[in-house]
Parts: sequence; structure tokens; C-alpha cells
Amino acid sequence: MNLEQWSENALLVAFILYNISFILYVIAIAGKKWSNRDPIVHLRRWSRIAITLTAIGLVSQITYFITRWFAAGHVPTSNMFEFMTFLSMAIVAAFLVLFAIYHISALGLFAMPVSIVLIAYAAVFPKEVQPLIPALQSYWLYIHVTTAALGEAFFAVGFAAGLMYLLSTIDYSSTAKESRKARLGIEITIYSIIVVIGFVLVTNGFKSTDYAAQFTQELQQKDEQSGELVTVTKTTDYKLPPFIKPANSTVERMDPFLGMEQPLISAPSWMKGMDSGRKLNTILWSLIVGLILYWLVRLIVRKPLGAGLQKIMGGIDAEDLDEISYRAIAIGYPIFALGALIFAMIWAHEAWGRFWGWDPKETWALITFLFYTVYLHLRLSRGWQGSKSSWLSVLGFLVVMFTLIGVNLVIAGLHSYAGV
Amino acid sequence: MLHNTKCECGHQNPVGTVLCESCGKPLDDEFGTAPLEMRYDGIARRSQRENPALIDRVWRFFSSVKVAIILIFITLCASIVGTIYPQENTFLNVDPSVYYETTYGFTGQIYYLLGLSNTYSSWWYKLLLIMIGASLIICSLDRVLPLYRALNKQQIRKHMSFLIRQRVVYQGVLPSTRVSAVSFINDLVPVLKRRGYRVHTDGTALLAEKHRFSRWGPYINHIGLIIFLLAVLMRGLPGWYMDQYTGFLEGVPVQIENTPYYLENEQFTVEYYKEEELPSEFRGQGRAVPKLFETRAILYECLADCSSTDPVLMQVHQQNIEVNKPLKYKDLLAYQFDFRETIQIRTVNVSITNKKSNESFGPFELNTISPKETYVVDPYVLTLKDYYPEFALNDKGMPFTNSKSPLAPAFIFLIQGPDLAEEGEVFIYFPRNVDKQRFSQDKLNEAVVNKIDIGVSSMEDVGISQFTSFLNIRMDRALPYIFAGGMIFMIGVIMGIYWQHRRIWIRIDHENEITIGAHTSKNWFGIRKELSVVLGKAGIVVEPKQLENGVKQS
Ligand code: HEM
Repeated sequence: MNLEQWSENALLVAFILYNISFILYVIAIAGKKWSNRDPIVHLRRWSRIAITLTAIGLVSQITYFITRWFAAGHVPTSNMFEFMTFLSMAIVAAFLVLFAIYHISALGLFAMPVSIVLIAYAAVFPKEVQPLIPALQSYWLYIHVTTAALGEAFFAVGFAAGLMYLLSTIDYSSTAKESRKARLGIEITIYSIIVVIGFVLVTNGFKSTDYAAQFTQELQQKDEQSGELVTVTKTTDYKLPPFIKPANSTVERMDPFLGMEQPLISAPSWMKGMDSGRKLNTILWSLIVGLILYWLVRLIVRKPLGAGLQKIMGGIDAEDLDEISYRAIAIGYPIFALGALIFAMIWAHEAWGRFWGWDPKETWALITFLFYTVYLHLRLSRGWQGSKSSWLSVLGFLVVMFTLIGVNLVIAGLHSYAGV
Repeated sequence: MLHNTKCECGHQNPVGTVLCESCGKPLDDEFGTAPLEMRYDGIARRSQRENPALIDRVWRFFSSVKVAIILIFITLCASIVGTIYPQENTFLNVDPSVYYETTYGFTGQIYYLLGLSNTYSSWWYKLLLIMIGASLIICSLDRVLPLYRALNKQQIRKHMSFLIRQRVVYQGVLPSTRVSAVSFINDLVPVLKRRGYRVHTDGTALLAEKHRFSRWGPYINHIGLIIFLLAVLMRGLPGWYMDQYTGFLEGVPVQIENTPYYLENEQFTVEYYKEEELPSEFRGQGRAVPKLFETRAILYECLADCSSTDPVLMQVHQQNIEVNKPLKYKDLLAYQFDFRETIQIRTVNVSITNKKSNESFGPFELNTISPKETYVVDPYVLTLKDYYPEFALNDKGMPFTNSKSPLAPAFIFLIQGPDLAEEGEVFIYFPRNVDKQRFSQDKLNEAVVNKIDIGVSSMEDVGISQFTSFLNIRMDRALPYIFAGGMIFMIGVIMGIYWQHRRIWIRIDHENEITIGAHTSKNWFGIRKELSVVLGKAGIVVEPKQLENGVKQS
């Protein structure tokens, strides 16, 4: 076995351990109410096992990271696969830091799934070790990326705790407008997480069946030398069955899918961007599969998923969750500012010759920073503790995720890694 | 409204004070029960003046955290809007007035017309930054001095309602009747000291305080931000900022505009990844993935005759420029940006031959960028009558040059010397063999071709430059201030967030009634735990959670 395979196996072990430890957190928290046991003893015993497994998983993932580093010859944070696995590792580390402070293992119930979903998401991207173009060969880049990811990891834990606060305080029996709105918000949040799972399942599923379809598209493009508009033919390869084909395109070939021989519709003509038809198709697929998964689970638990989760969580002190959420974000804020802005400026200064260029990715890092600045200032005011600030922590994590994924998917820039 | 601002403890407070500066008694809602608003310890600030004049109103506007939050939020939204479509500065050679419409249709046109295609350099975005800057300055001034005063003159024995309206509260009786109130207090001192507190006692009252410096964190970080913003604005001033792209042909020093510096690209190298270094998916596609660009650069300072063809240069710096390793000399920075293969003859070491005697003289160097006017090669004297870097003939058969780059150089000399006419004879010399053939040098030189010849003896006499390296030349005198601002910001944020200002007040009344209040700038969980441990050492057993105001102390 060579080093690269070693490394991949270590990651797989970590992934499995995270999943098991997640189940153990569920047992630790939900099992408190099982009969013939002392809830406190039960919680303590199972939490200890779960935390231990999480820690071993983290060690395994660190092993992955270091071995891949040696195999590749550079710090493995330079493509989407590597970055996302690094982020998931940082989230587990951040969770363990907050656990060390607060000793509330229930946090694992929500922090671990975030990490697990990110590893699964990473698996969608090509895993190969890639060579670096000169602009990426700088240790400032590694310092920038890893520090920023660590800050984001604390925001992720802040999000997990904020979501838990909301789940544990929402009143599922009240019909007041406020709580109806809050319940809807929670379901949407849960659905969004399921959509990401849906995306992972769909892409990996069709990858294993080698599904393929191909389209050609005539595009008007400006010729670089002459500056005149010329017509170029571009081919787009789909790896998911196309409900939506690219705008103004013709089908070159398409594997049939469940009797579907032709794409159902065409992307709107204003979507002229590179690959926008394919991205739209992928998003649609994720939404649909997410919806199916959501309703499957909902039919099983026979109540809104928020209510189900509330029941599992039962009996965690909400004030503690609020404080953990705030603390996680407060710990993450300086790290994020240092990594995503200051180190980024140093790197950009060294590599591109300017410390700031309003590149979309850079700008979104600034937006994330401003968002959490607003959060911290609002926390100083009365009335912004508890549920309002928990919503902000949820929203903040959405901003983080948009910066990491959405920007690449929707807006492309200098920093972007290849999208799917 | 007129307040009597004198507290019952005898302290005269300024108007606007919420908690007596001395004993902490709540002045405005004396009989409330809700936890107190402890920010700035309830001191009066300038922004709370009554009957404000215009300047007070402006002051009040900018010192409000609410306004600050709104300003930051608007900036956030504006920044989002700026990322919807690419900004204009991301293109070269594109006409934005048509680009947005043709590429993005109607919405693109609106975007352009609203000026959103230049969001970050627009006047209103700058105005937002300036307003945040003003707000930072004013809010900090408004708070920092009063806060300093309040923290500097704390009374040890606080008012009862100040204590029981803290967020962390304990009320009970002394655990043992054997210890007196004073010795209970004195016994606590070493316990608290060991935990890093500075402890002050006053008979049966105690004040323990630690990490006060963390309260200055936000002000330090705001100062860092102010420096940062000022530095960013400073770059608008002339002489503070330069950003230009210049091509440097190998071996030719080029002046950097508006500076006394000349930069020479001595040699440029580009290296590609070898096939076996690429991962499998990149192989066999004939894709050239560059691994290294490098410009061997020499920087000169011009001492005299600058901007003439023959300036007096002194070498001041030498460095290899790579993508992540710019040349640095004082304020000047040169970054590797791009390169182009531009094969040109730069120098030729030629000899002049007398065809009759077959004697050669020289060699002497001809420079294709800035040839000299005369060359003395004893016994010959060559006067350069004309020089065409890229020689061509127009439709009337007259010579002209296509460009200033020596792509097809042609030298026209008037040569005087042995066996030549007294007034000299004309000789046309093409260093490149292709040009010699194309323009039939021998025919042009018909009159002298049997008397003399000019040429090189081997390829080693020809100096070739292969590449033009494009460098991004920058000067940003604000940069040190920008990074200093960033550093100060970080120091302030870390101070304010990773440390917390904790205070514990204890008073004992009627010999054994103990009342404790505690406050921290953050991390209430931590201070409850700490207080619980401290009380445990003193024989009072209380769960951290029970110390929270409002939680039953069972
Ligand atoms: C982009 C601009 C700004 C950034 C990045 C920023 C950052 C911060 C940070 C990190 C803190 C510490 C928060 C904490 O410890 O929880 C803070 C506190 C504070 N900021 Fe700002 N701030 C900004 C603008 C402003 C403005 C314009 C005001 C003006 C009103 C302001 C007023 C305050 C106040 C009053 C505090 C609390 C001070 C204290 O606790 O003593 N901030 N700020």
C-alpha cells in the first residue's frame, strides 16, 4: 500500500468513527429516558464512549491529513475535496474544544452531522493529488486557508448550538404566529441540510452507475485576439440524468433514465454562464431528492422533524446552549478575521501583487466577517440574546457555506476551485 | 427634566449616570428587580447630554451602537450586491457600456446603469466606510474615558441592590458561626489571589477583580480599524500608490515611470511540470502546466542623464522574481505577472574586414536597442547614419521601421578608412541572415561589397533575448499602515474576547449575612463555575447553576 492509499483509508476510518460516535451521542441523549437506568449515569457513561470515539476519529483524520501532506508534497488544502475534509476535521476539533469547556456532550448530536455531511460532500469532488500552479505555491496560502477554516469551524459549532437552542425552546403546542414562523424556519433549516445530503447521495449514486449525457451548445464568444464575436461550439457533459438541458443546446447522446429519453426542459436562455444549465440540473436533483428524504423521515416520525429532534434532545439547558453558541462564535471570530482577512491579504499581496482585489471569494469573506461583527455588536444590546441571536448564528453559517460553496457554484473568481 | 444626581452615599454623579459611580446604587429605577445593565458600569457619556445642540446630535448619532450596526449592515448588503456580476476592474479592454447588456441582458444593463459595476470604488461605498470610521472614532471617545474613570475609582462596598441585581448572585449566611465576618473575608483573599484576582478589602466587604485590560480590547481594535481605514483613504493621495504593468525584454534596462529606477530583466526562465509529475488525469493531453516563472532582475538607480538613451546607472539591488516572491526595494515592489516569447537580437559583436588584405578589425559591439552614433575601429570610423529596428520598405521602395522592437534590425553606416573614398562610403548591415537575404544586402551594398564586409564570426557573437517578462510594478506607501492597523485590530480583538474582565463583590451584613454579586464581560458559565469553586473552598457548597440570578437556590 502506498502512502496515498494509507491516507485515504485513514480518512475512511475517521468517517466511520464519526458516524458511530454520532449514533452514540443519540443513545447518550435520547436513552436517558429509557427504563431501568439512572439518567445521569447513563448520560455520563455513553457520552464518555462517544467523546472517546470522536477523539480517535479525529486522530485518524489527522493521520489522513499528514500522510496526504507527505504524499502530495504540499499541504492538502488546495482543491475542494481537500478543503472540505480539512474543514470537517476543524469542526470536530472545535467541537472538542467547546466540549472541554462546557462538558455538554449533546453538542455532538448536531456538530458531528455537520462534519459528517461535509466529508460526504467532499467525496463528490475528484480525490487526486494535483500539482499546483505557481500562484498557489505559497505557505501563506496554507496558513490563510487553514486558519480561515478553523474560524469557520467554530462558526459551525456556533450554528449547531444555536440550532439546538432553537429546537429546545420552540413551542410545538402554541399556535401563536411567532412560534408558527419559528417552526417553519426550523423545518426549512433541516430541509436545507437534507438537501446537501441529497446532493451527495445523487452525485455519488450516479457516479457509481457511470451515467452520462452530452450536449452541444453554440455560444457567441468574443475572440481574444480580434475582439470580434465568433460562434463556438461547446460540449457539456452531464453525470446526472438531465431534467434540464443547457440553454439552446442539442442532445448529442443521453443514457435513458427511468424511461426518460429526452431532457424535460431547457434552461432559460438568460443563463448563459459556463455550465449553468448543468448546475441548475444538479440543484434541481438535490432539491427533489432532499424533498423525498425529508418526507420519508417525516412519515416515519409522524411529526415535524423539529419536534422529533426536540423530543430526542429533551432536557438540555437552553441558556447553556445560547452561551455555547455565543462563545463558539466569539472564539471563532478572531481566528476567522486573522485567517480569512489578514493572512488572505498577506497572501494576496505576495501572490497577486495586491492585498485586496474585490474578488468574489474575498468579498464574501469580508461579508462573513461583517455579518459576525454585526452579531457581536447585537449581542451587546439587550433583547438579542437567546432566540434572535440563535437565528443569526444559523444565518451566519449559511453565509459561511455560501462563501465556501455558493460562490464557486454561482459566481466564479480567481480563488475558485473547480465546481461540480 | 431635572435630576438630583447626588446619590445617598454622598457621591455627586454627572447627569445621565445610571448606576452611582461610587456605590453602584441604581439611580433611575431604584426599586426594579431585573438584572442591571452593566455596560460601562452605568456611567454618563457625552452622548447622553440633555438639550443637545447640533454638534451633540451628530455626536449622539455616531456614538450609537444601533447606528453602527445599521451602517455595517448596509455595507454588508452593498458588498453582496457588488458580487452579483463581475466588477468592471476585472476586465481589460472591454467596453462596459455594452458588455453588461450583451452578457447579462436587461438586468446586466440595469446593474451597469446604477453604477453597481463599480460598487467598491463608488462614492457611496466610500462614504459608508467614512461614516463607519467616524462612528468608530466618536463611539470610542464617547465611552473610553468615562469607562476609565469608572473602573479607576471603584468603591469596595457596593449598594445592596447593586449586588442582588447582578446576573451572578449569591445570598446566604456564613457557614460556621465560629469565624467572624472579617476573618471570613480575609480567608478568601488568598483563594482569590491564587486564581489571578486582585483583591481589595474594606472590613467586611471585598472586591476581587481580574483581567481588567480586556475591557480595553474593543477600543484597541477600533483604533486598529481607524488606522486601517485612514490608510486605505490615504492611497488616494498622489505619490502614495502606483500600480502599472511593464514589459521587460531580456537584457534591456527600462526606466520605471516617475521614479529614478531602472529595472533590467537579465534573464527569464519558465519551467513546466514534467509529464511524470502530473497526476494521471492530466497526462497525455499535451497540457503544459507551468511550474516556475522566474525573472532574474537587477535594479538600478539613475544618477545622471536620466531618460536619455545613455543614462548613468548604479546597481542598487539584485533579485530573482518568482510568482510568490516579488522584488522588494524600499517602497518599490515588482511582481511576476506574465511573460511572452519575443525572440530578438539584442547585441552583435561584429568585425569589419578589409576584403583586399583580408584583415579583420574589431570586434565591436552593436546594440540593437540604443546603438551609438559613431564606432571607432582603428583604422575605420563608422558613423551611424540611420537605424531601423524593424526594417521594411514601403511601396515606393523607401525604408522605414515597423516598430521600435529590434525584430529586423538594419544599420546604415557611413564608413571611412583605408581603401575607401575620402568622404566615406555607405554600408547597410542586417545582423539577421534572413533579412540579409530578404532585402539582398549584397545588392544594396554593391559599391562597397568588394572592399569591405561587416559580420560576426560565430553564433556566440550574437546576444539574443528570448523573453519579455511582464512585471506588475507597485508602490503602496500605505501598506505598512494597513498591516499595522490589522495587527492592532487583532491584538484588541484577542484581548477583548479571549480574556474576560471579571469582578466579584462580597459584603457581609449583620455579622453573618453574606451577599455576593459578580460580573464578567463575557463567559458567564466560567465565572459561575469559578465562584462556585471559590465558595466551596470557603465551606459554602453551591452548584454553579444556582448562582444565576433568578435560579432557585435550593
Ligand atoms: C467594521 C467595523 C467594526 C468592527 C469590525 C468592530 C469590532 C468590534 C469587536 C470585535 C468588538 C468586541 C466585541 C466583543 O468583545 O464581543 C467590538 C465592540 C464594540 N464596538 Fe465595534 N466594531 C466595528 C465598528 C463599530 C462602530 C462603528 C461602533 C460605533 C458605535 C462600534 C461600537 C462598539 C462598542 C460600543 C463595543 C463594545 C465596547 C465594550 O464592550 O466596552 N463598533 N467591536
